[in-house]
Amino acid sequence: MNCFEARQDFRSFWRKELAPERRAAFLAHLNECSKCDGAFRIFALTAPVFHSEAEPAEAEPSRSAATVRRMPASARREGRAYRETYRSSPWLSIAAVIALFITGASAAYFSVDTPTETLSEAIHQPTQTMELVSADFPEANIDLGQ
Amino acid sequence: MPRLALARRIGWSPAVRPDEELIADALAGQTEAFSELSTRHRQRVQRLCQRFFSDQEIARDLAQEAFLKAFAALASYRAEMPFGAWLRAIVVNVCYDELRRRKRRPEELVGDFSEPELGWMQLVSTATPEELVGEAEERRESHDLAHRLLDTLKPEDRMVLVLKDSEELGVAEIAEMLGWSEAKVKIRAFRARQVLRKQAERMMNAGRARVVK
Repeated sequence: MNCFEARQDFRSFWRKELAPERRAAFLAHLNECSKCDGAFRIFALTAPVFHSEAEPAEAEPSRSAATVRRMPASARREGRAYRETYRSSPWLSIAAVIALFITGASAAYFSVDTPTETLSEAIHQPTQTMELVSADFPEANIDLGQ
Repeated sequence: MPRLALARRIGWSPAVRPDEELIADALAGQTEAFSELSTRHRQRVQRLCQRFFSDQEIARDLAQEAFLKAFAALASYRAEMPFGAWLRAIVVNVCYDELRRRKRRPEELVGDFSEPELGWMQLVSTATPEELVGEAEERRESHDLAHRLLDTLKPEDRMVLVLKDSEELGVAEIAEMLGWSEAKVKIRAFRARQVLRKQAERMMNAGRARVVK
């Protein structure tokens, strides 16, 4: 058996469909060809999903499955109902973004004190700095220009 | 009296009735006929869903969703194609939509292995091919790890690999089912295998590093 033939037989070997003599030739080839042996081990990592007829019972559940199992049945049902209700709903994400934006804008707006005077009042009101300067300014200096 | 009920009454097994006949009855309003159809195909549909998702509850939900879609679209079924193949296309679409909805990131998936997963990885490195086949059937973690590895693929790539390697469909059949060109199917399959090989090597290295620690 050559490498090409051996790799063609990965699937059949995994599914136990090889004839005894073909199976023996396959195993002998893997034993002597490290490249095909390595390729078979890579194949074995995905084969349980691709080439098994049924998944084994969940005796050793994955951590996420175990977490879900620890939840009370009512919570699991609610979670499932939630997933069903909101499955593939892009509008929900868009609405969440808009709500977040409105909340942020409102917070920014209300965090600043509202001015008590109108714009025209603010413009026409003489500033205190100007008064102080004019009050302290010596009279002699005013006459300098005359 | 509906034909299905009559058949049961006279002791004739409805399982031998062809799919097309059951479809005609279902279209005529006999929902029992469709439940007979779904019972007939449930195991195969669920197995296909399990090739996409490790969580059996999700797989069951998706199988159910696929049957609902099939029932809703039953009027569009044409007998040129076997019912099983038509149903498979619906299942694949449902699973593909769910995969796309989930959009996982590869870097989240490789690393952080549980002890049983590490044990399985060690076995993959050291056991004989015969031992591997036997152990994979017994160990749940072999499936979990395979799913984690397959989760690193893009949904399109995973779909092509499931159809090609697991369902053993030809390139032309896959192209027709997905509405792609044959070249695209071949390229996708080739790239998917390359990615898978790299991720598998990465996974094994990460596993070895954890074992050494």
